[in-house]
Amino acid sequence: MNILLYALLKAVIVVAFLGLNAFVLIWAERKISGYIQRRYGPLRVGGPAGALQSAADILKLLTKEDFVPGGADKWLWTLAPAVSLIPAVLVYLVLPIGKTVVLQNLNIGLVFFASVTSFTLLGIFMAGWGSNNKYSLVGAMRAGAQLFSYEIPLILSTIGVVIATGTLTLQGIVEAQAQHHEWFVFPQFVGFVVFYVASLAELNRTPFDLAEAESELIAGYFTEYSGIRWAMFAIAEYSNLFTTSALGVTLFLGGWHGPWLPGWMWFLLKSYLLVFIGIWIRWTLPRVRIDQLMDLGWKFLFPLSVANVLGTALYLMVR
Amino acid sequence: MRAAVALWERLWNTGKSMVVGHGITIREMFHKPVTVRYPEEKPPFERGSRSVPVLKVNEESGLLNCVSCGLCERSCPPSCIEIVQAIGADGHRKPWPETFQLDLSHCMVCNLCVEACPFDALEMADVVELSSYQVQDLIFNKEQLAELWKTSRALRVAGGECIDMGDDTVAAGVVRS
Repeated sequence: MNILLYALLKAVIVVAFLGLNAFVLIWAERKISGYIQRRYGPLRVGGPAGALQSAADILKLLTKEDFVPGGADKWLWTLAPAVSLIPAVLVYLVLPIGKTVVLQNLNIGLVFFASVTSFTLLGIFMAGWGSNNKYSLVGAMRAGAQLFSYEIPLILSTIGVVIATGTLTLQGIVEAQAQHHEWFVFPQFVGFVVFYVASLAELNRTPFDLAEAESELIAGYFTEYSGIRWAMFAIAEYSNLFTTSALGVTLFLGGWHGPWLPGWMWFLLKSYLLVFIGIWIRWTLPRVRIDQLMDLGWKFLFPLSVANVLGTALYLMVR
Repeated sequence: MRAAVALWERLWNTGKSMVVGHGITIREMFHKPVTVRYPEEKPPFERGSRSVPVLKVNEESGLLNCVSCGLCERSCPPSCIEIVQAIGADGHRKPWPETFQLDLSHCMVCNLCVEACPFDALEMADVVELSSYQVQDLIFNKEQLAELWKTSRALRVAGGECIDMGDDTVAAGVVRS
């Protein structure tokens, strides 16, 4: 009984954080994009600098009509947002937030993370197929090709870290970095770059947002969605942005390790720094073509990540 | 060999342009935005911009410059100006307008009335916030037009475009019978 209550509490905390994270990040993205384009971004909606913009957005989305398009596959279509939200919630299970703060220190943490994030594709595909709309389908097909292609360099780029530490638990990886006072971003720089580029592609963010390229596909796989269902996609997207950055921080930037401040603060600070860099990249680089995307994934990142794994292994063997 | 060189060159160019591009965006981020937050702060009018013809008031006498010659009325393409000349108690026509009406809902802001005026009695104002839910509210009489001129002049004085001759001369009686 006690364990159940404890689990429920954890779930509530994760879901609350999910909402808060999307709340802040949507506002932050609009502000940052505004200032990059010499605008102010949201200003009028309550609070300093339009801080309540997200609240107004959520109210608007909640009051919208719950509309199901006529030709849609009802089950697939209605379930898709929930399915895309599930992996976004599940990955919080293994993130080491502080030295002792982790929801569940699984000994296959990294594998769990990688396998759960692959499920995002399922929600996207359900949305694309269930909408019965050519734009949604093309968007989902693109997302499928893209997520599948970049999953491989993403996972391979983390293997260098796993070889160096000899553990799959995320907590263990951070502890290894804290012990030697050396973050893996320095010895594993190639791995970090491959990881970051591949994670941007996994998140379907510009310059890799072909799945929802407005100028060609309206909104890609969520063309037909509106109201709270659309909001669920958005929340999942921003949560994935945070968790992927957090994984990058855990693997390469020393997780909660840092001087003076408490661990969880360092963790959040570094994660949101990576999120900021992601937003910065989004508002700087234009979208790539689909053939350029595939070229970058298979001809550049994939060999680079393999070479990184082999190099790390050889170095550790010779040493 | 040639292909390899081209590849390295392309890689180098890609990396360089990405660094330069991110430098530009981060620098832009710390610039002051160019947005003018309209109702709170108003953008300055460009010289030569025009919104509505208004009646100028003579700064010395405080009277309208208009002598009711009717040239503006005749030059107006959409015929939105309507002048009735004043007739004195002696039965003679007088050199000032009895009524001067401008229908802003018809006015196309062409500036032809200002060009036609030989007495420097008309001017294009810098006042733009004139919208109304009633079309009747867009028909201005001579008092309103003189008032608009004063507002516009005050804006220009505040903007440093012309010298203020003192408010009292402008505020003095506009209408004479």
